[in-house]
Amino acid sequence: MRSFIKKDLLIFWRDRKELMTVLLLPIVLVVVLNFAFSGLLGNDEESGMDLQLAVVNQDDETEAMADLQEKLTREASLGESEAAALVEQASHADPVQMLFDFLDSEDVTEIVTVHQLEEDETIEKAQAGEMDGILVIPNGFAADSLYAAFTGESPATSLVFKMENETMNTSALFQIINGFMEQMNFQFALQAAGSEPDAEVMLPEGGFEEVEAVESHSFSLTQYFTVAMGALFSLFIAATVATKTGEEIRQQVFNRILLTNSHSVLFLIGKVVSTFFLAWFQMMFVFMFSQAVLDAFPDRSITFWLGTIGIVTLLSLSIAGLGAVFTAISLRVTNIDAANGIFFLVIILFGVIGGNFVPVYVMPDWLQQIGEWTPNGRALVMLTEWIQFEELSSIIMPSMLLIGFFLLCIVIGLILFPKRGKAS
Amino acid sequence: MLETINVSKSFKGKKAVQDVSLYLDNGESVGLIGPNGAGKSTTISMISTLIKPTSGEIKLNGANTINKPEKIRKILGVVPQELALYQELSAYENLKFFGSIYKMKGNDLEKRIQRALEIVGLADRQKDLVKTFSGGMKRRVNIAAALLHRPQILILDEPTVGIDPQSRNHILETVRALNEKDGTTILYTSHYMEEVEQLCDRLYIMDYGEVIAAGTKAELLSILQAEDTVKAELSKMDEAFIQQVKTIDGVRKAEASHLQLKIIAKKGSNLISELVHLADQHQLQIINFHTETPSLEDVFLHLTGRTLRD
Repeated sequence: MRSFIKKDLLIFWRDRKELMTVLLLPIVLVVVLNFAFSGLLGNDEESGMDLQLAVVNQDDETEAMADLQEKLTREASLGESEAAALVEQASHADPVQMLFDFLDSEDVTEIVTVHQLEEDETIEKAQAGEMDGILVIPNGFAADSLYAAFTGESPATSLVFKMENETMNTSALFQIINGFMEQMNFQFALQAAGSEPDAEVMLPEGGFEEVEAVESHSFSLTQYFTVAMGALFSLFIAATVATKTGEEIRQQVFNRILLTNSHSVLFLIGKVVSTFFLAWFQMMFVFMFSQAVLDAFPDRSITFWLGTIGIVTLLSLSIAGLGAVFTAISLRVTNIDAANGIFFLVIILFGVIGGNFVPVYVMPDWLQQIGEWTPNGRALVMLTEWIQFEELSSIIMPSMLLIGFFLLCIVIGLILFPKRGKAS
Repeated sequence: MLETINVSKSFKGKKAVQDVSLYLDNGESVGLIGPNGAGKSTTISMISTLIKPTSGEIKLNGANTINKPEKIRKILGVVPQELALYQELSAYENLKFFGSIYKMKGNDLEKRIQRALEIVGLADRQKDLVKTFSGGMKRRVNIAAALLHRPQILILDEPTVGIDPQSRNHILETVRALNEKDGTTILYTSHYMEEVEQLCDRLYIMDYGEVIAAGTKAELLSILQAEDTVKAELSKMDEAFIQQVKTIDGVRKAEASHLQLKIIAKKGSNLISELVHLADQHQLQIINFHTETPSLEDVFLHLTGRTLRD
């Protein structure tokens, strides 16, 4: 088997054009994309987001407590004094006020500029692209929310978030507002569960406290491009190895190998191992280059690098499995050019849904979920989390999935591997 | 030693080879000739175990090899028509790879590589990449790769296609030496009749997937013993004249090429006087003519109605 591996690596090494394409193209793309996007967004380490949020407040705060008291006595059949006590308690937890306090908090004002406007005005500005999102507080929202919190019923009204187009900024704004609502609902639910009449409604402390609780590193554009391009181009190794198999068939070298009485599966194993090494070296080269030239991973520990090497190794393994499937298909089909075209399409598809071309969060949820089952998509998620949190526990299960993908591909490759006289 | 018995092969219902029976005795040099598409390569692929016959048997020393190909592969060296080599590797690296997967190693492998390179006359160019070689040199490496395991039977499938005369002669000499000095049994396919005449003791002639004649050169030439081959050079070519020549009593075939007319006729026909008479009628001059001893090419033409390179 060593002869097969040595031969494949030597052939790849001698094919300087292919070698340059595989090694240089990803790093050229990392450099170009990095500078292109840095120019658009400024330095990705330093720049913060500048989100423009229009708030349309249709609720009348002065009437909110009176409305609440009326609802409690009329709809919940509470006594006047009991209702008055609850209203007094609720006056310290007005949801509209809580929302504005949240939007005025230091954390939020760093990235969100709030404009209190009338509805007509906001639509005009949103259409002109001046606003990233519009938040409408409907009439009766405060009273309905508090009534729902006290009675456990669903609120009759809810905040409305509108956007002109879905962009990274609108998604971020939506996440911020949604985070606030979840936090507020959680606090109301806690109060209801406690059922202590004197318990006070806890004010939410803002949408970012949980993120700050975990020690994390930022994830820069340079890192994204390094990981995305490294994983994408390593996929092409599987197709390249299969293409070379096609040449071996065309030149009848495969037949000559069969005539030596060596087990034909050794040929497949040789391809798998050489694909593994080529993919591994290719990705590590991209990482090393990004670190050396772009300082993509500054001040990272040896643990970080060991983990990264581990993930790259697992991804290389699954790509080697993919190489086995492609190789077996190459040996079966009559038109090797058509097969190469299909391999290319499969890789592009994997690249798109795996998030190598654009970040996965811009894609629909169902597509994101499928993408995570691709080896590159899974590795991208693993590397993204590893770069940010360096938590071993977060990569154990995905590692199993990559190993599973490798084993599955090997089984498929062996099933598809042609018997005597079946190779095209 | 090796024989095929009524071997046939169909691809998608279409018969490529039909009921081919041939044998090779130890130390023989046997030719398999036929035009392109005659079924020679398919027959060789079946003998060398690369494809399974649809029907028939292939026996090595009396034992069927179809379901147990390992035994015959050990003693078989195959030189395919295509260059079954890695172009990006050197001649030495190619031979080392193929030798190692034949499970040779160390000094033994090294000696065999050097011996194979000496046989094909490329020992001094062994470190050069195959892609830098001329067509003839590549074909010689192709042969060397089939010699590494010292096969008892060497099958060569049109090994001289598309190469210069010097390399062609070198290959023919190599094959002759392997047969005469080393005692290697040769099965040589070609559509160059002169190569087969030069190298082989016996011949099989294939056409449209079937063996249409077999025997020694003398046996095959005896097919034309009752015929004369006459070649005439004309002052100009006239289709009506050729058609009339074909009607002369005893003429079996008449073929024109440029200003040359080749006629195969029954011995004792009154061909010459009839030919002169017809030329006169068509106002043609016969510049010269001569009677030839029949060649294997003539035998092939006689059997198939076309030349080998058609």
